Amino acid sequence: MSIKTILTFLLLMILQTAHAEGESTPDFIRSIGKIYVVAGVCLIILITLFIYMIRLDRKISRIEKRQKNEY
Amino acid sequence: MMQESTTNSSFRLAAWKWAAMIILIFVFIAGWIVPLKPGIIKVTPDRAVAGEMIVVDVVGYNSFYLTDTTKLRAWLRLAGDTVIQAHHIQAWDDRNLAASFYIPSVFPVRQEAYPLTLVLDHGSEGTSILPNAIFITPASEQDTAEMKLWFRDKIEHVHEKAGIQYPFRNILSETIRNTYFHVPMWFCMIILFGVSAWYSLQYYRNGDIDFDRRSVAFIKVGLVFGVLGMVTGMLWAKNTWNAYWSWDVKQNMSAISLLIYAALMVMRSSVEDEMQKARLTAGYNMFAFVLLIPLLFIIPRMTDSLHPGNGGNPALGGEDLDNTMRMVFYPAVIGFILLGLWISQLVYRTDKLKGNL
Repeated sequence: MSIKTILTFLLLMILQTAHAEGESTPDFIRSIGKIYVVAGVCLIILITLFIYMIRLDRKISRIEKRQKNEY
Repeated sequence: MMQESTTNSSFRLAAWKWAAMIILIFVFIAGWIVPLKPGIIKVTPDRAVAGEMIVVDVVGYNSFYLTDTTKLRAWLRLAGDTVIQAHHIQAWDDRNLAASFYIPSVFPVRQEAYPLTLVLDHGSEGTSILPNAIFITPASEQDTAEMKLWFRDKIEHVHEKAGIQYPFRNILSETIRNTYFHVPMWFCMIILFGVSAWYSLQYYRNGDIDFDRRSVAFIKVGLVFGVLGMVTGMLWAKNTWNAYWSWDVKQNMSAISLLIYAALMVMRSSVEDEMQKARLTAGYNMFAFVLLIPLLFIIPRMTDSLHPGNGGNPALGGEDLDNTMRMVFYPAVIGFILLGLWISQLVYRTDKLKGNL
């Protein structure tokens, strides 16, 4: 459930930034030499890898639980 | 199944895993804190008529024009040594200055319009360049005596800013730092797929189902890195090329290679028999890795691509990666590859535990 929430949040964030950069509005993501693009790239990488690790952790926990039940 | 020795201390890890963490911490710190060299963002007006005195307003980036205004020099360059030096330069603040030039009414070459490159040099802040800063249209009356003005000045004794900085590139500017975050994703993906193909070969030779498990774990993590490379590239493309997807050859070919591997995973899940599944996967996997070579290394080099580091974008030149950047880029590639191998190993161990229960 939490993974879904995080993914939805991430998607909304990306959509919003995509939406925010209309033609006329001074655009935030491209200010200061497009540094926020780099920030976005780093965040995407870190968040995705963390989500992947959390999923892996849960998978292992499930296996451990099953193992305990067998003994 | 679990190695008992590792449970004694939670911090006992193989050396290469420590290396992965330390290298990546270095990459994230160095990738973010090292500043860019000064650059020029904008020049107004961007067109003018020859044979007149013009005053251009220059907007700099990371520049310190007020540091020592007597050390400021500016040129407009037509080509090579064909330059015009500024008569007078007035710095308003650290990021804005005005420079006046007299554009001769005749040119050494005949063109419809003359794009001039602005070159700015500062004694301590170094040189910054804006290609095609201003377009000059020919004058109606031409005075051939002014021809010698083009060869009077020379760009010489230019300075290099001291200290560690990343180069400033127009179009890229700060996103040159993506070299440390977006590019290693692809390197890591290729290495993981390569390791996976090697395990598939081992499966063919030995028929041990464990090799199948290994190769699949590496494909799973390789796909994660590939998707990361694609998504981060799309975010950058949206803000640089104005579209998430612009059908650039690099984008297309990497999408095809990801689809090939995604298809492999789909095919795997549709086969019921374990041995058949393993055999099909091994064959397909080796074939897919061989396909990666033309898709990622040959076809993008045969056509023009807008992607930085490729041909077809003169503003980027050949200096997208200088020696300062290499000091961070190579560790970044190694760090992310080690991280990818580490995660793949965890996935393999998990799958193995699951299979044995």
